[in-house]
Amino acid sequence: MKTPSHPVRWLATAVATAVATAAALWLVARASAVALPWHASDATRIRLSWSARPERIETCRALTAEEIAKEPPHMRRRVECTGTFATYLLHVASDGRVIDERIVKGGGLRNDRPMYLLADYDLAAGERRIRVTFTRREKSDDDSAATAPRAMSIGADSGIFSGRAEREDEERARRRSAAVPPVLELDTLLTLTPGRVRLITFDAEARQLVVRQR
Amino acid sequence: MSRTERALDRVLRFLDAFANRFWGWRWNPLYQSGTIAAAMLLVLLISGVYLLLFYRVSDPSASVAALAADPWLGSWIRSLHRYATDIFVLAAVVHAVRMFAQSRSWGRRSLAWVSGLVLLGVGIASGWTGFVMAWDSFGRRLALDGIRLFDALPIFSEPLSRIFAGDPPVPSAFFFVTTFLHIALPLTMGAGLWIHVSRVARPVLLPPRRMLWTLVGALLLLSIVLPAALGDPADAFSLPTSTPASLIFAWWLPLSERVAAPVTWFVFAIVALGGLLVPRLTRRPREGALAPSVVDPALCTGCNQCPQDCPWEAITMVPRTDDRPTLVALVDPAKCVSCGICAASCAPMGVGPPGRTGRNQLAAVRSTILPAITAGAETPIVAVLCSRAPARHVDALRMRGAYIHTVSCAGNLHTSVIEIALRGGAPGVIVYGCPPRDCVGREGPKWLHERVYDDREAELQARVDRRRVRIATAAPGDLGGVLASFGAFASDLASLAQPSRVAVEEVELECETIPVAADGDVE
Repeated sequence: MKTPSHPVRWLATAVATAVATAAALWLVARASAVALPWHASDATRIRLSWSARPERIETCRALTAEEIAKEPPHMRRRVECTGTFATYLLHVASDGRVIDERIVKGGGLRNDRPMYLLADYDLAAGERRIRVTFTRREKSDDDSAATAPRAMSIGADSGIFSGRAEREDEERARRRSAAVPPVLELDTLLTLTPGRVRLITFDAEARQLVVRQR
Repeated sequence: MSRTERALDRVLRFLDAFANRFWGWRWNPLYQSGTIAAAMLLVLLISGVYLLLFYRVSDPSASVAALAADPWLGSWIRSLHRYATDIFVLAAVVHAVRMFAQSRSWGRRSLAWVSGLVLLGVGIASGWTGFVMAWDSFGRRLALDGIRLFDALPIFSEPLSRIFAGDPPVPSAFFFVTTFLHIALPLTMGAGLWIHVSRVARPVLLPPRRMLWTLVGALLLLSIVLPAALGDPADAFSLPTSTPASLIFAWWLPLSERVAAPVTWFVFAIVALGGLLVPRLTRRPREGALAPSVVDPALCTGCNQCPQDCPWEAITMVPRTDDRPTLVALVDPAKCVSCGICAASCAPMGVGPPGRTGRNQLAAVRSTILPAITAGAETPIVAVLCSRAPARHVDALRMRGAYIHTVSCAGNLHTSVIEIALRGGAPGVIVYGCPPRDCVGREGPKWLHERVYDDREAELQARVDRRRVRIATAAPGDLGGVLASFGAFASDLASLAQPSRVAVEEVELECETIPVAADGDVE
């Protein structure tokens, strides 16, 4: 601070400096707590969010003993499957009006990763009839995995390889059960409250779409 | 100087003048923007360590709310941490704008410019993680918008935004990673700061002690009186109408929430690229006023003063190629910013930018200043000003009868010029430097003071009457101070006897050319 010689001027300068300092700090404090607008006061929203494995559409066949014998011991799968992953059609409607329709594929470049869904829909408050369907696009007769031949145990399986035929069967069964069902449907009446979000998600245990809220 | 630089320089000078009116140039925080940013980093580090002791990644909202509700330490330390973050960003931005406006962003200063921008970016990213750690409505908003940008990149197979969808709750791992980044990023800033100042000699990292403690005290007071806002705990199922946001960190939200993520990325990339390319876009030909210093080996006595004074470590002493037993100064043109400070550090006047060496200055005194000041009936006081001095100051001093002599930097003024002006009849010489922390040559006012009063080479000779020499500061907006110092100096001179005029030819310079024989030997 400058120090003017006259006491009155000194005091005036000191007061001005103090006021300027206080004002600068106040500005910093205000800039640090600005009420930044976000959502409209009457905004209501439904959110679709889930992640699940797409079904594997594949054709399986049991390998012959000769074919198995050609492979190194640790690579001797009993059943060979080839195929693709299913794709799904998401259809969302509110009071009969379609608000979204899209194709959902598995993640990754080859669509072999779990598929995910994250979508927000802003709707007017009130009671709404919400219908969500998530349907496999490929026909069920494309898929022969469910009728895949059971892996046959062969005599050479011993030591760490023992029981691998059963494990192969279990793995295929586990994959099938972890995949999202061919058809998911939710048709419900929701009361949408301003400022609140209703979440529609896939309950992996119940294997169905459910509504969540806090 | 480009149009943009000029425009920003004008804005900066206006703000400097405004701040100088209230705080004076010694306390003007705008001059200390770089050191204030570094000081805030220290405050953040210390307050952050305390906050970390009470932060829980398993329940971030509740732990921060408990801190904010603690009236003894938690509330104000958290507020201090938060305000220091804002001041860090503000100070760093002001510092960058100042460097740009003063054409200090290219050439030798490129590394400092680029590393400074990176430091600012890392600081903002670290601040972002800090706000997210609090996990209030603003933290959630920042997290959502930030993660949305990353989701637009082909990095993750599943969008990270899903962890904020509300089912299931945000995992502790997210807050663990955020906390890790919040600690790791500032640590990298320590290394960045070292790079930032690596090309300058004697870097100043902190503001003057009184200013530092006053600033910290003021922030503490602010933290107690106006604790930093904390929004409602983050809730994925709620749609708040507003969030208590820090404008300094939320300025990009209105853009990012209205446009697609790639557009936001594009804007960020353009801004970042533009900033990083500033050294390339603003560089100038190294000639004229920006030509690097050169050394005349015949004059260099190997005294080692110019390497000590050079603010950019551009001068080294190397073995001579002739038979003289001393070393000789060598200027690295790539490191020299042409500040001219070396010219005034050299008693034999053997180094300096072309046209601004001590010998060039003496020639100018003989040919221009002396004839001008001795032409009238009354010999005027010689006022030496930096070329960056405000025009109003120059005009006002001229109106009061001063003879104006302009130098590129007060640190470029060789003390022999002062001596010759006085011996030539000038009643006094007053040298106006820029405020020390606003000197484009970094250390001009400091070295000038030491050369005039503390016998630093090339010192003002003892035979010169110090009562006839004055050093003052010409700060924007402080015309009153400039005129007051001039008035006081004139008044002091009036009480002294009339100076006797000595024929300039009789002035015995401290160092004349060392005679060198045709074969290179010193005679």
